[in-house]
Amino acid sequence: MGTVIAVISGKGGVGKTTTTANLGLGIAMSGKKCAIVDFDIGQRNLDMIIGLENRVVYDMVQVMDGDCTIPQAIIKSKVNENLHFLAASQTKDKSILSSEKVEKLVKELKDSYDFVILDSPAGIESGFEHTIEFADEAIIVVNPEVSSIRDADRAIGILDAKSQKVKDGQDVKKYLIINRINPAMVQSGEMLKSDDILGILNIQLLGKIPEDKSIIDASNQGRPVVLDNKSEAGKAYIRVSKRLCGEKVEFVDVESEQAGVLKKLAGIFR
Amino acid sequence: MFSWLNKKKSASVAKDRLTVAIMTDRATNSEYPFMNELKAEIIEVVKKYIGVREVAIKKEVDGEVEALSIDIQLDRD
Repeated sequence: MGTVIAVISGKGGVGKTTTTANLGLGIAMSGKKCAIVDFDIGQRNLDMIIGLENRVVYDMVQVMDGDCTIPQAIIKSKVNENLHFLAASQTKDKSILSSEKVEKLVKELKDSYDFVILDSPAGIESGFEHTIEFADEAIIVVNPEVSSIRDADRAIGILDAKSQKVKDGQDVKKYLIINRINPAMVQSGEMLKSDDILGILNIQLLGKIPEDKSIIDASNQGRPVVLDNKSEAGKAYIRVSKRLCGEKVEFVDVESEQAGVLKKLAGIFR
Repeated sequence: MFSWLNKKKSASVAKDRLTVAIMTDRATNSEYPFMNELKAEIIEVVKKYIGVREVAIKKEVDGEVEALSIDIQLDRD
């Protein structure tokens, strides 16, 4: 029986889909079977980030409606055989999801994979609620920026209210990923420190991902940055994936990374 | 000339603003999902004995203390 993880945020555009893709692949690279499911109905994106947009035949709504089976709809990653993907539907009608259908899909996936990661839509409407409803754990993605953090707090509140696990009297585990940290700005006091964000939101840290140009480069190619073991973001995602797989990985102080002059100097001699 | 030295760094401004905003949000947003059902049931119960015009339920958070305040407006007729 696998673990179902919902990747959520309050505000859009903080890097949920990128996080889903990289953690999915990172977990697969650790040797675990992982399914990633795009729950962002109407805005299919995860397929592009992992470079499988041309392979989509069936989507998750068709699976839920019984038009096809999970094995028929699942797409295997080209870069790692442990990573499987289920695409979002392009339909505009978000009300197409129902709790019963989502529960059935999630349960079936849970039976065949070690990890099932659900990429939630942004905002806190019905699509979001369905993503969190049957998740065992939730990863909240924030940027070190006020609106993202405030909205994340609201999303956490809804998670606590709507999660089936909470309704059953259990705890839904919550982790925070702070994405797009700019070390130089943190050092100069122009960007919130991770400790401050953790203090305000009061949840457990899963990882800090630095801002990295390689992310755009990676999504251009449909090859998640976790494959690039030279990039800082890629290394950070590897650490997070290992933590999810139960390995003890030291937290790297991403924020005190040498930025600016030293790095530029190093760059010249590369 | 050295005025920038005294200027508060924007990250700490952000921290202060966020702390206040989130505290306010939590106080106002902490509605229970069953608030509407609860309201309907209270109306039913009170109605058995006396006319009700309006029921307002609010969850109030004051530090560690959480309270449910129920305001029932009676129908005079």
